[in-house]
Amino acid sequence: MSRVKLKELTKGILRQNPVFVLVLGLCPVLAITTRVENAIGMTAAFTFVILGSNLLISTLKKFIPHQVRIPTYIVIIASFVTIIEFILHAFAVNIYTQLGVFLPLITVNCIVLGRAEAFASKHPVRDSIMDTAGMSVGFGLAVITISAIREFFGTGKIVLFGYQLTPTVLSSPVGGMVLPMGAFLTIGVLLAIFRKTGVLK
Amino acid sequence: MKLGVHTKSVIVLTVTCAFWAAALAVVYNVTKPIIESTEKVEIDATLRRIFPDADNFIEEHEHYTSLKEGVPIGYATISRGYGYGGEMKLLVGIGLDNRVVGVSVISNSETAGVGSRITENTFLGQFIGQTADNLKLRKDGGQIDAVTGATISSTAAVEAVYNGVKLLENMTGG
Repeated sequence: MSRVKLKELTKGILRQNPVFVLVLGLCPVLAITTRVENAIGMTAAFTFVILGSNLLISTLKKFIPHQVRIPTYIVIIASFVTIIEFILHAFAVNIYTQLGVFLPLITVNCIVLGRAEAFASKHPVRDSIMDTAGMSVGFGLAVITISAIREFFGTGKIVLFGYQLTPTVLSSPVGGMVLPMGAFLTIGVLLAIFRKTGVLK
Repeated sequence: MKLGVHTKSVIVLTVTCAFWAAALAVVYNVTKPIIESTEKVEIDATLRRIFPDADNFIEEHEHYTSLKEGVPIGYATISRGYGYGGEMKLLVGIGLDNRVVGVSVISNSETAGVGSRITENTFLGQFIGQTADNLKLRKDGGQIDAVTGATISSTAAVEAVYNGVKLLENMTGG
């Protein structure tokens, strides 16, 4: 029994990584990975929304009629998104402004609704928690990796909450890395490396 | 009691929506004063930086009058511009001679590392001492150098400052 649940947790990190394997919800991934700080903020908001909504959906799955399940899921997800929006606006204004429109857009992030429809609505609450926790960790690792590469090459250094993590190595950074094309390049190269080396399939 | 599937659908959706509407109302009312006060603190600190001599500020609909011993020494306003990533909010301050004494970016959504460099002093410092006539990018005949690679963000910022100064000129009486 415990082995089964552990599998639900770890599958989101590697075997079914939402970004690198399922390649879902790429829009916010491309947009917010300009800085590691934003990636961490996005991961926090994402985790709050997917964990909260899928926990609730999994709990209520017997009461939600099949015909209205999608509107019900969306109302629940959108509410969690709005709550995290208010909270970030109140307590982390910088991250709130940096994430901009991609914060409300978590509502239509296909990973969130995808996990609700494909997993939470069919599995017990405990498994659903494991599943979403794994997905969140997988999402977080992916966006933090991408943003670290983009910030490092795009601005020459990595600055996290006011602390400079790496020395300024590049005197003339590759500005394109923080533009959208840098995101496509980074994701493409990472995907190629992961597939070639067999880390992910 | 056995309910029809349609009735059940209506009930579930109504209850879900009503519950979340109430929950959102609560969260909104709890966070609203915090959201407002953090922005106020930010604007207050910026005003103090732009007008170090002032000892008091009067606020009226995003317009600020800085006073020293009860006499106005300058005016400031919140001005908005639309850049590459969306709205930016700038605080623009002018002295009694209609020259800019300071500009600060309150919020922006420009690309990190490129457009966001409009928040740096190398760019914002150029505005100090300018009158409205010079508030254009150098390529348009003004006195402001754009941030390299960020013409859209720079133009938006310059326009916001220009609009702010024009608005404030009315307050100083021309």
